[in-house]
Amino acid sequence: MSSVAGLQRITPVPTSADFIDVVLNATMRKTPTVIHKNFKISRIRNFYMRKVKFTQDTFDEKLGKIISEFPVLDNLHPFLSSLLNVLYDKNHYKLALGQINTARHLIAQVAKDYCRLLKFGDSLYRCKQLKKAALGRMATIMRRQKDPLAYLEQVRQHISRLPAIDPNTRTLLICGYPNVGKSSFVNKITRADVDVQPYAFTTKSLFVGHMDYKYLRWQVIDTPGVLDHPLEEMNTIEMQSITALAHLRSAVMYFMDLSEQCGYTIEAQCKLFHSIKPLFLNKPTLLVINKIDIVRLSDLSLENRAFVDTILADKSVTVVEASTYSEEGVMNVRNVACDALLAHRVEQKLKGSRIELVANKIHVAVPQKRDDVERKPFIPEAVKDRVKYDKNDPNRRKLQKDEEQEMELSGMGIYSADLKRDYMLADDSWKYDKIPEFLNGKNIADFIDPDIAEKLEALEREEEALEAQGFYESDESEMLDSDEEEFRDAADQIRKKKASIKKISQEKNHLQNRPIIPRKKRHVTLSEFTTGMRKSGHDPLVLEKRAARLVEKKKEAWEAAEAREAASGAGEMDVDMGGDDMDMASSAGASSSKKVKKGMAIDRAPRSNRQLAGLASYAQSDKANELRDFAQRLPNRLAKASESDRHIPITRPKWMLAGKRKGGKTDRR
Amino acid sequence: MAVRTQFENSTDIGVFSKLTNSYCLTALASSTNFYSVFESELADVIPIVHTTIGGTRIIGRLTAGNRHGLLVPSTTTDQELQHLRNSLPPSVAIQRVEERLSALGNVIACNDYVALVHPDIDRETEEIIADTLKVEVFRQTVASNVLVGSYCALSNQGGLVHPKTSRSELDELSSLLQVPLVAGTVNRGSEVIGAGLVVNDWCAFTGLDTTATEVSVIEATFRLQGQTSAAVINEMRDSLIDHYA
Repeated sequence: MSSVAGLQRITPVPTSADFIDVVLNATMRKTPTVIHKNFKISRIRNFYMRKVKFTQDTFDEKLGKIISEFPVLDNLHPFLSSLLNVLYDKNHYKLALGQINTARHLIAQVAKDYCRLLKFGDSLYRCKQLKKAALGRMATIMRRQKDPLAYLEQVRQHISRLPAIDPNTRTLLICGYPNVGKSSFVNKITRADVDVQPYAFTTKSLFVGHMDYKYLRWQVIDTPGVLDHPLEEMNTIEMQSITALAHLRSAVMYFMDLSEQCGYTIEAQCKLFHSIKPLFLNKPTLLVINKIDIVRLSDLSLENRAFVDTILADKSVTVVEASTYSEEGVMNVRNVACDALLAHRVEQKLKGSRIELVANKIHVAVPQKRDDVERKPFIPEAVKDRVKYDKNDPNRRKLQKDEEQEMELSGMGIYSADLKRDYMLADDSWKYDKIPEFLNGKNIADFIDPDIAEKLEALEREEEALEAQGFYESDESEMLDSDEEEFRDAADQIRKKKASIKKISQEKNHLQNRPIIPRKKRHVTLSEFTTGMRKSGHDPLVLEKRAARLVEKKKEAWEAAEAREAASGAGEMDVDMGGDDMDMASSAGASSSKKVKKGMAIDRAPRSNRQLAGLASYAQSDKANELRDFAQRLPNRLAKASESDRHIPITRPKWMLAGKRKGGKTDRR
Repeated sequence: MAVRTQFENSTDIGVFSKLTNSYCLTALASSTNFYSVFESELADVIPIVHTTIGGTRIIGRLTAGNRHGLLVPSTTTDQELQHLRNSLPPSVAIQRVEERLSALGNVIACNDYVALVHPDIDRETEEIIADTLKVEVFRQTVASNVLVGSYCALSNQGGLVHPKTSRSELDELSSLLQVPLVAGTVNRGSEVIGAGLVVNDWCAFTGLDTTATEVSVIEATFRLQGQTSAAVINEMRDSLIDHYA
C-alpha cells in the first residue's frame, strides 16, 4: 500500500476467534500427530512439549507481527502522528497495542510453565492433559483480546484508506467555514472528485488533489469546515482540519462567503479567521472571497467591510476573489496562491545550505568570445515550412508504425521495415540490386575506388606502350638457359643431399626402435661358431667332434622311431594328420593292433578329435560351434555356472526392504 | 520541440539513436514505434536511417557525428558501412575509425563546430575527427568524467551537461564550445545526459521519464521554442530551486 506517505502496508488483523483457529490449526498441521503409550516416556514428553512450544511460537510470531506493523505514533511525521491521534485517539491506540503485547508475554509465560510441568509428566495421559490445559489457557488469553483486535482491524482499514498526503511537498491548504465552497474549488483546479452537497460537513475528512503549475506538481488539500469554538470543543472532523493547518508547510487559503448563503455571517467568518490565525504563522496566507457571482467585496456594506478589513489589516494576507460557480477568477486564485507559496519556499531554501548544491543548475554559462568565427545554427528551410505532425489529423503523414499496424490488423503476416526504400542512389532502380556480401574472400567495399577507371586506363596505356616497344617478343630465353641450368643443378644436389641425410637419420631411428634379440637367444650355426673361433685364434676341434657325435646320436634315435612307426601301421598316422580326411572310424579299430610292452607306461596321443565326432565336414563343425555359442549367450548373461545351474538368487533381500526408510534409502542402505 | 519517447521500455534513447542536423540514425527494433517517433518529427527534412553498428543496437554510443560527417567504430561491418553510405547524402562523410576506445559516442561530444573528446584518445583519431567532422577538437572532461559524450548533449545553440559540473567548469566549457551551457538532468534525475537526450538545432528527443521541469530546461537551453537560454535563470528559477533543493 503506497497510498499513505510514511505508512507501510499492514496485514489484516484477524478476530480473536479466527486467531485461535488459525494457530491451533497450524499446530495440528505442523507438529507430529502419532504417539503411542508404549513409547519411551521421554519421547512422549518431547512430543507434547513440542506441541506446546510450537503453539506459543505461532502466537508470538503473529502477535509480534501486529505490533511491529502498526506505526509507532512518535516516530511518524508530526502531521501524521497528530492526524492518527485525532482519528483513533492516541491513548486508545497505544492501549490496544499494549494489551496485545501483554497477551504475548502471558502466552510465553504459560508455555514456559507447562513445559516445565510436562517434564514431570509420567504417562501419556498426564502429558496429554497438560498439553490440553496449556493450549486452553493460551486460547483463553487470546479470547480476552477480542476488543483490542477488533479495534486494531478497524484502524488498519481506516489507515489504508487515508489519502496519500506528502507533508513535505508544495501544498495548498484550503480551509474555512462549512459550505463556503472549498470542495467545489478543489474540484475546479484538480481532478480530485470531492463530493459537493448543499449542507454543512459534506466533507468529513481530508481530501487530496494534484495539479501542475510552473512545471511543478502541487498538492491541494481540501479540509472539512471548521466552526468557531475553542479547541477542546471541536469534534474529530474539525480537528483534522486543525491538524493539517498546524503541521503542514503550505499556503493557507482561507475561504469566505460574503453572500452569507453558507449560513454564517461575515462577522462570524472573520472571527474564525482571527481565532485560527496563530496556525497561519510563517505561511503564505490568502483570503479567498468566494461566490463573487452573488456578492463582491466592493458590494459590501460599511459595517461588514469593516470586519473584512480587520483581516486585511495584516499586510501578509493577500485577498483574491473568485467564483467557483461562474469560474471567474478561479485560475487567478490558484496562480496567486502557488506563486506566493513558491516564493516563500524559495526564500526559505535560499537561507539554507542546500542551495549551494543547486547553484550550478540555475546558472547559464554564457560563452566568452575566443575568436571571430561565427558559429550559426543550421536549421534547414524545410523545418520552418513543415506542418506539425498531429495524430488526429486525417491527412497526416503515414508513418512506418501505421503500415506496421495495418499489416498486423489485416493478418498479412509480420511487418519488417524496408531498409533499402530510402537509399539515395544515382538511379532508383539500383536500390534493390542484389550484391554479393562476399566473393572470393572480398566484399564490395574492397573494390570501391573512385579512380578505378583512370587507373585502368593508365594500365592499359602502359601495356600498349610496352607491346609497341616489343617488350613481350623477347628471345632472351636462351640467354637465361645456362644460368637456369646451373641453378637447377644446384637445386638437384641440394635435394639429393637432403634425401641422403634424411635416409641416414631414418635408419638410425629404425634400428633404435626395433626390439633387439639378445645374443644368447640367437641361433648360431656350428660353422659360424667355428669360423669365428678360428678367426680369433682358438682351435674348435673338440667342439666340432662333440657336435658330430651329437648329430650321430640324434640320427640313430630318429631312425629307430621311424622303424617303430612303420611297424605300427598307417592308422596311427591318420590321427596326426587327421585334418585331411575325416576317417576316424578306422582309428578305433587300429588301436587294437598296437603293441603293448608289459610293465611299462605308454604315452598315448588322443585317438580322435571328439569335437568333430559325428560331423561330416568342417563347415558342419563351424556351424555347430556357432550354434553352441548362440545357445550359451543367455546362460552367460545370467551368470550361470553351466547349463545345469538352476540357482535362483534372492530378488528382494530383507535387509534392504524391511524396516524404516528415510528419504533416498530405497535403492541402497 | 522536445518529444518524450522510449526504446523498447528503455528510456535511454540516446543509446539507441543518433541525431544531427543532417541525418538521424535509429536502432533496429522489433517494432517501428521508435523509428516512427523520429519519422513524425523529421521526415522530409533529414534522412532517418534504421541501422546496426557491428551487429549491435547501441548505435548512439558507438557512433559520433554532426552535419558534416559520421564516425563509426572499427567493429562496423562492411555491409553496415555500405548501408549507411547508401542512405546518407553525399555531403555527409562517413569514416571508420580504428580507435581503442571504440564507443565513439561516449568519448566524443560534438556540434557542427567544436568537439570535446576523451583525454586518452589517439592522435590519429583526433586528426580524423577534425578532418571528417570539420570541428575544432578539445581534450576535456565534464564534471571530472572522461566520458564526455555520455555526460553532455550539444547543439549549435546550447548544451546540457552533467548536473555536478561546477560553475567555473561550466564557464570554461562554454567558452570552449562557444554555446551557452546549463547543468541539468534527464529521465527524472539521471545524470547521463547523452543517454537520455538526443538533440539538434531545432528539435530534441528525451527519455519517457523526463519530468516537466527537465523538459522545460531542455527547451530553454537548446532554444527549441524560440526563447533564450536565459529563461533558465529568469522564469524557471523558482521552480528549479524548489525542485532541486
